[in-house]
Amino acid sequence: MRGAPAVSAYLPILVLGLVSFGFAVFSVVAGALTGPKRYNRARLAAYECGIEPTPQPAGGGRFPVKYYLTAMLFIVFDIEIVFLYPWAVTFDRLALFGLIEMVLFIATVLVAYAYVWRRGGLEWDN
Amino acid sequence: MGVQLPFPTPQIEYSLLLPVLVILGAAVVSVLIEAVAAESLRRTLQPLLAFGSLAIALAGCVGLWDQRQVVAQGALVVDGPTVILQGTLLILAVLGALLMMESRVDPAGDPFAARASTIPGSADERGFGARRQTEVWPLFLFAVGGMLMFPAANDLLTAFIALEVFSLPLYLLTGMARRRRLLSQEAALKYFVLGAFSSAVFLFGSALIYAATGSLDFAGIADAVSADPTSGLLLSAGVALLLAGMLFKVGAAPFHQWSPDVYQGAPTALTAFMSAATKVAAFGALLRVMFVALGGAAWDWQPAVAVIAGLSMLVGAITAVVQSDIKRVLAYSSVAHAGFILTGVLAASPKGLSGSLVYLVAYGFVTLAAFGLLTVVRSPAGEATDVQQWAGLAKKSPVTASVFSLLLLTMAGLPLTSGFTAKFAAWSAAWGGWQTGVVVIGAVSSTIAAAFYLRIIVSMWFSEGDDAVVVALPGLGTRTVVGVGVASAVVFGVAPQLLLGLVDGVGVFLR
Amino acid sequence: MSPAAYLALAAVLFSLGCTGVLLRRNAIVMFMSVELMLNAANLALVTASRMHGNLDGQVFAFFSMTVAAAEVVVGLAIIVQIFRSRRSASIDDASLLKL
Repeated sequence: MRGAPAVSAYLPILVLGLVSFGFAVFSVVAGALTGPKRYNRARLAAYECGIEPTPQPAGGGRFPVKYYLTAMLFIVFDIEIVFLYPWAVTFDRLALFGLIEMVLFIATVLVAYAYVWRRGGLEWDN
Repeated sequence: MGVQLPFPTPQIEYSLLLPVLVILGAAVVSVLIEAVAAESLRRTLQPLLAFGSLAIALAGCVGLWDQRQVVAQGALVVDGPTVILQGTLLILAVLGALLMMESRVDPAGDPFAARASTIPGSADERGFGARRQTEVWPLFLFAVGGMLMFPAANDLLTAFIALEVFSLPLYLLTGMARRRRLLSQEAALKYFVLGAFSSAVFLFGSALIYAATGSLDFAGIADAVSADPTSGLLLSAGVALLLAGMLFKVGAAPFHQWSPDVYQGAPTALTAFMSAATKVAAFGALLRVMFVALGGAAWDWQPAVAVIAGLSMLVGAITAVVQSDIKRVLAYSSVAHAGFILTGVLAASPKGLSGSLVYLVAYGFVTLAAFGLLTVVRSPAGEATDVQQWAGLAKKSPVTASVFSLLLLTMAGLPLTSGFTAKFAAWSAAWGGWQTGVVVIGAVSSTIAAAFYLRIIVSMWFSEGDDAVVVALPGLGTRTVVGVGVASAVVFGVAPQLLLGLVDGVGVFLR
Repeated sequence: MSPAAYLALAAVLFSLGCTGVLLRRNAIVMFMSVELMLNAANLALVTASRMHGNLDGQVFAFFSMTVAAAEVVVGLAIIVQIFRSRRSASIDDASLLKL
């Protein structure tokens, strides 16, 4: 192993990739060969992934404003990960200072979260 | 694991950052209060927090008077110009907050909509009636915090963040007027679209400058510029875009189209604060960029700035003449003032710096007072902002008419007012810097503007007025704002050495 | 591939965004064009960061992404509010103010 560190470091990833690829191929092939082939409404419905598409008028129609509200809130809180990730990568080198600064940062974001929550921004039905 | 590079713990000089930290911290607390406190409690807590934090920040700012340091890993600079600009901004913020508190002039309540999310004219909106909303306070504090950071920023990243931190709340506040809400919302949309556009231009300019010089901090850019004075295409394009983005914020022609609409549509109390404070913050940052980062390339940007200065003065003065709304008149006159301040920038010398600073301080207080005074002259529909409605005002309220006349004369630059001190300081710097042509244009355009101001004054004193227009008795806050404006106009005019000495004492930008 | 090509691409994207803001009259489309300009700037920043071998540009790109998100929120809030008031998102329909 010591002779070829560059290759050996990536070997487990390669093996994992092969295993998962093999499992995926096996599942699809086995399902196609052994499963019953009946097509009905329930079969075509979304199953455990995504929601039923809302019926829409021609031209796409209009979304209620609450979609925008949810989307906006999502963007604002989602983007914080941009700062968390580099911090996580250099966590051990930034040491205590980095930890304190990050706690302050998250506390600030939490204040915004508290505001949204208390003002009813998270309630879907009203 | 990879190689561990040495990574020193960043040094943050908390005591030197006190004004900025106090205001931004108060803004966060203010959001928290909005989240948890009951509505009646919020109405007392929020103004208390705002004025308290402004007072602490102001005291901290005075304590920084002798400090000359680069702080926070080179992100910000605390030097003479920073301290005087931050001090001015904080005083303007206190005065602006006083105007925002005013609820006596309008029987419908304070200047802001009771609930900004209601649809104008709906039953929902009427249900909230004269209620006082408190969400303006966190927005206001964030805006002030960003403005404090902007002139202190020492690299393009900090400058961009500061720019956005003060711009975004202002877009929202613009759309929150209690009266004429459709107009106000429309002004907010225009301000937002054009403001976001100019921010993007600023950002792309920063990116090009970084590509050309490999550095974001002003000192590094200055080194790269002086090492290669034959600045390449990349750098020139970057500087042009950066300049355009900043000139938009100060409202210089031809980047001024937003300002009359926004000034007219925004709640007047906010217009007062915005017109004064945005200019102070943005010119502070512009001066630092031009003098510190691009001082070595002054020969390259001076012609462009000269053209913009001349254009601003002429466009501002000439367009003001044909306006019928007094808020638009003041907006165009602020475009002209941007041109006058640019004359000081143009000099690219310590004298130009102090001339610009003098102008900013003098202009800020007078403009704030002039807009503050607009709120007291009212018709049944709200503020009477049509120039014709101001005719014959002297018979209804000689005090209002005299004060407004004085403020207009100050803006025109009458000797023995602070306007003259300011123009003298800015122009003498430019004159010494061989920018004679621009000074001549300035003299011509201020004559045009003066003629127009005189027309308003004459109509106030010697015409018959509209009986529907009345002068409301304002509360203590508005009176203080107007009083400070008048005092600054007279004191800095009669004893200019007070202001000149103060500004000369601050020295130049720290590199 | 030389970094200059990426800078050129950024300039093209930026110009496209600029044109969009200046020519289109729908607030949402203008707004999308502004986002395009911001992302063009991000591309230029990251390219320049690679050219100069320091990380400042990448850090700047992170911050400008955050700012862009905040701008989206503020902008959509204003546009949605206007839309609710007058059922239109065209800049020209909003014309109480002189242009």
